[in-house]
This record gives sequence, C-alpha cells and structure tokens, in this order.
Amino acid sequence: MPRRRREAAARLEVILLAGPALLVFLAFVIFPVLMAAYYGFFSWQGYGPPTDFVGFKNYLTILQDPLFHDALAHNGVILVMSLVLQGPVAILLALLLNRRMRGQSLIRVLIFVPYVISEVVVGTGWSLMLQTSGALNGLLTNMGLGFLANDWLSDPGIAIWTLMAIITWKYVGFAVILFLAGLQGIPEELHEAAAIDGASYWQIQWQITLPLLAPTLRIWAFLSIIGSLQLFDLVYIIWGQYIASTAGTSTMATYMVSEGRNAGNFGYGNAVAVVLFLISLVVALIYQRAVLRRDTDGALTGSGTRRKRSTR
Amino acid sequence: MISRRLPLASAALLAVGALALSGCTAGDTGGGSDGDGAAMTLWHNSTTGPGVEFWEATVADFEKANPGVTIEIQSIQNEDLDGKLQTALNSGDAPDIFLQRGGGKMAAMVKAGQLKDLTDAITGPAAEEIPDAAYSANSLDDKIYAMPVAVLPGGLFYSQDLFDEAGITENPTTIDELETATEALKAAGIDPVALGAKDAWPAAHWYYWFALRECSPETLAQAADEMSFDDDCWIRAGEDLQDFAASEPFNSGFLTTTAQQGAASSAGLIANHQAAMELMGAWNPGVIGSLTPDQKPLADLSWFPFPEVEGGEGLPGSMMGGVDGYSCSVDAPDACVDFLNYLGTSEVQTAYYKAFNAPPVNTVAQEAVTEPYLQTILEAYNAAPYASQWLDTVYGQNVGNALNVAVVTMLAGQGTPDDIVKAVKDAAAKA
Repeated sequence: MPRRRREAAARLEVILLAGPALLVFLAFVIFPVLMAAYYGFFSWQGYGPPTDFVGFKNYLTILQDPLFHDALAHNGVILVMSLVLQGPVAILLALLLNRRMRGQSLIRVLIFVPYVISEVVVGTGWSLMLQTSGALNGLLTNMGLGFLANDWLSDPGIAIWTLMAIITWKYVGFAVILFLAGLQGIPEELHEAAAIDGASYWQIQWQITLPLLAPTLRIWAFLSIIGSLQLFDLVYIIWGQYIASTAGTSTMATYMVSEGRNAGNFGYGNAVAVVLFLISLVVALIYQRAVLRRDTDGALTGSGTRRKRSTR
Repeated sequence: MISRRLPLASAALLAVGALALSGCTAGDTGGGSDGDGAAMTLWHNSTTGPGVEFWEATVADFEKANPGVTIEIQSIQNEDLDGKLQTALNSGDAPDIFLQRGGGKMAAMVKAGQLKDLTDAITGPAAEEIPDAAYSANSLDDKIYAMPVAVLPGGLFYSQDLFDEAGITENPTTIDELETATEALKAAGIDPVALGAKDAWPAAHWYYWFALRECSPETLAQAADEMSFDDDCWIRAGEDLQDFAASEPFNSGFLTTTAQQGAASSAGLIANHQAAMELMGAWNPGVIGSLTPDQKPLADLSWFPFPEVEGGEGLPGSMMGGVDGYSCSVDAPDACVDFLNYLGTSEVQTAYYKAFNAPPVNTVAQEAVTEPYLQTILEAYNAAPYASQWLDTVYGQNVGNALNVAVVTMLAGQGTPDDIVKAVKDAAAKA
C-alpha cells in the first residue's frame, strides 16, 4: 500500500474513532464554558437574550463579596482537611486490607459502600440523623452522654467539621480502593528482601511501600483536590438552598447556585461559574506541573522513547 | 407545546396524521372554546394527600366535560417550584398551566412576554363571583394574568390545647403579651414557636410582619417601587425581631428545620403538638392536616393576627398575605383559559377549600367555610385597613432571596439589623 494512502486511512480512522467523543466534548464542555464567559459580562435576569452589557462589573462584585470570600475559605478548609483526614486513614485501611485475614472481602465492601450510595441519599440520611432532635442526639442522650449532644448542623462552629466527617466517611472508601490497587502493583520480593535484611513491618511500609505507592497517592490527592473545589451536592442537600452560608459550609458551587439561579441573576451566576472554572484550572495546572510531572514522565511515553517508536 | 393555526381543511387532514403519530395538538381554528385535541401540562405545589387528590379529581372532571382535552399533572415540591418554573419558562418549554405567586415574580414573567393575557377571557361564574380585589393581586397595568384560587393571609396558628395547658386565656395582641405567652409556654415545658428557618422564608416572614407594623404603607410602597430601604423603620423591624428572638421563643434547632416536609418540620411540630404556634400563611391548616398522625385536620387549631407593635408607623390591623393563582403560559392552547374559568367556579372552589383547608376567593364558596379559624382569618383580612403581598414576592426573586437569607443569618446570631439592609443593597449590585 502506498504510504500516503495508508496515512490517509489512518487519519480517517482517527477521525472516526475520536470524532464523536470530540464532538460531545466540544458541544457540552467547551461551548458552555464559552457561553458562560459571554453571559458573565451582562446583567441578565434570564429572560430573553442578554442586552445589558456591564463589562467586568460582575467580576468586581464577586471579588468584593464577603459571602464569596467565605465560600472560598470553606473550599480551602475542605481541600486541606480532606487530604489530611482521608489520606492517613485510607493508607492504614489499605495496608490492613492488603493482608490475608478473615472477613476481608466483607470489610472491603463495607468501606466501599458509602462511596457507591448516591450523594442525595447520603445527604438526606445524615441531615435527618444529625438534626437537633435527630437520631444521634437521641442516642447520646439515652446513653447518658447528653452533654455531648450538639447542634451538629446549625452551629456555625461545628457545622464544617460535621461536613468533614461526612465527606471522610463517604470518600475514604474510594481512596482505599485506589491504594489497594496501588499496593497490588508492588512486588512481594521487595518486602521479602527487606524482611531478610532484618527490617521490621513498619520499616518496610515506610521505606518501601510508601515510596512505591507515591504515584497512586499523588493521583488520589489530585482527584480529591478537584472534588473539594467543586463540592456541591452534599452541602446543598444537607443545608438546603439558603442557610449554607449562615452555617459556614457554603462552597463556591453553592454560592453560584444561590446567587445565580435562585436569585434569578443569571449573568452574575455565569460570572461566578467562570471564576470557579479559572480557580480549578489554575490549581489543576499548578498541581500537574509541580507534583504530577514525574509520574506523567514515567507513565506516558517520554520524548526519548517516542523517537525510537516513531514511524516517521 | 406549539399550537399552530391552520386552515380548517388541512387541519382536519393533518389531525388524522397527528393522531396516528402521537396525538399532538391540531390547533383550534374556530375560536370555539371546546379546545378539541389539546394536550396540556399543569404544575402545582401540593405534594401530600388531599391536595394531590383535588388536582387529580378536578382535572379528571374537566377532561370528561371537554372530550379531547388532556392535562398532564406534575406535582412539584413547593421550595423547588419557582426555580424549576423559571428554567422551564426561559427554555421555551413552559408548562401550560402553573401556580402563580404574583408580585415581582409575575412582573418579570409579564415583562418577558411569557404569560397569557386573561383580561377578556374570564367569563361565567369566575367573573361574577370572584371579587375584583382578588383579581387585582394578579394584575399588572390593568391586565389580568392569573386566575386567583385562594386568598392566603398570614398570622399565628396555634394549638388551643397547648395554650390551655400553659394557662394562656387571651390571645396576645401586642408583642409584650406575645413574649409573656411564650414564657408561660416555656414554663409549661412546651416549645412556644415552631420555625422552619432552613427554608429561609418562614423566618423572613417574622421580619416582614415587624416591617408591616413598623413601616407606613407609603414607605412599603416606595420600597417596592425604588428598591430603597433607607427608612429607619427597616432597621427598627430588625431590632424588634432581634429582641423577640433573644427571648428564645423558637424550637431548638430551628435553623435546620424545614417548613413543610415531614413530622420534624415546623408544620409537623404543630401537627404533633410538639410546639404551640407558628407564623404562617393561610395554607397552613392544610399542610398541618396532612402531617397529623391520622392525616386529619388538627382539631384544636386556632388563629390570631400578628400582634401590634407599640409606636410603629404601620396602620393597626394591617394584614399581609398572598393570593395563589394559576397562569397560562403565552403559547398555551385556548382550553387552558377554559380550565382556569372552571377553577373559578364555586363547586371547584368549594372542593379546593375542602382539600387545602384554605379560604377560597369565590364568594359563593366562601359561605361554605365552617372552620372558626378560617372565618376569623377572612374577617381580619376583609377588615384590614391595608393589605400587602408577602414582601419577598413584592420585591422579586433577587432582593427577596437576599432579604430572606439575611434574616436567617441574623437569627443565627451572626448579623445585625443593619446587615439586613446592607444585604439588600449588595443583592441589587448583583442584578
């Protein structure tokens, strides 16, 4: 077959295979982003096409709004605390579940179940249990621990920690599964060699398992960071449309919905969406460049190997 | 739903095909009111018991009387309705018939040309037996945009049994007396006031009532026109509420209590004698009735108007409330108007009153009202020197929402009366 025709065929194949996905990506990701950027420059209540061009006024208002600062701060707390709380717990659980023990698969399932349940169900369940007159306070009182009973959801000093507890409960299973998969990839020989050299169990984990698990850890942290920045459903279900900012659990996404859609200020809401997008993008790019660089170098075909395999 | 106007012949020709395909609308060419072949959607906000049954029965009766007309009913949880409705209207996929709250929200829909003008289309008993005052709540520039179905003034609903238990013999007429009553209830181990602050608006109603007592009608009207809240009375209303809240009258955990969903909601607390009173609109008896253990109306439910505030500039006896109505979207078939006229007849209005336990607007149907508390409400409303719509409805979605949230924030102890006024100005900047 002549070379040119083969290249054309290959190109057609690429278009055929990647085309539909590319089309969907353009239509449902790139196009809405562009439209949001467009609407963000208007004062627009959502009726008819936008006409009232206001330039950067929406963006100035966002950056000066104390409610947005609060939401951003909450996102920051959630981001950091998710890593701090879930990481160690998930590693310990994964190490535990990686050993042969009775009831192993049952425990694996139990840890993973919260992650599978839908956010709405989780949110509704916890919000009912944690109400001031709810099940948890009832349990504490009946156990004689009434002094521990609290306004778990409505006390602004506690609410964010309640949220962190629920997030940890829900997402730790995901981290455990990731880490388990990572652990499977670490050759048993290394552990055996270290054991023969006289290393203790914890020395082996610290010196061998953790460094070799690091790529998995970094990917998990990346997913967790992005999830924290975009957290919406749990907060919206538990605290409703209005009081998340009062309880101190509002996030940028709930701010966007309450100030954009619920208030009927669609132009402003779109501007918030753009800010949220930019913040997530910047964080993701920095993380990729600073932290994930080594992993992608190893995992993807680097420039050196590429030259060798290239057909051109 | 697009309904096209076609010449009769082609309409008849097409009707066969349309019916064969999916039973789509073939259009009503003669201008007659039988509206054959019209398929419509209806959005309402009752999610429990008799309310849902009322709509099913009413629609079934209407469909029977108008062969060919079909109405698909969708019941939408009250707090979700406004957002979903706006999305549907803006996307051009609006329901044909839907709940209309009036005020600034209706004005926005009219401005966008999304509502059918009903001014000349209202005929029959609906035109004769419903007073103009009820229509005025759903009018803008002398044009009617919705059929009123219930007049829903607010006030304090309470349990007579619990008041008796606490030794309260006379209903409070001033805020001081109200505080005395809440102390008596607390002394008897009863939560005095149920408040569903998770939904924000029930908490804001307390502020709105204080504002109605503190502000003169002129100030209220000016605020609606110019969105200016500079008068001192807005701050004073906030201080009044702060002082009242300082006596801790509300149920514990009111910040995460919803208004209408389940036994733990504020209406549920009244229904199950867990709290003594609640500040609400006249739809409350129906909601409470659906949340009692046996799903029957609460036997000892009573009502008194919001107490007077000493030194306030508002006219004593002023009332606040909404008029619930139903609108047709601008593209709805003519049968939609027929359905609204049907909703205004005394039989349907009487059925409405029985299903929702709320005062109807049809004067003939009003005679059927037997509950003493509904009679008291109607009396107070008809005698009021000044009646306002709910303020969050008057001020529209943007300012209304900001006000509601700011009031909750203050009740949570994180804001001052000044912050409420500031929140309104901040919201105006986001429009």
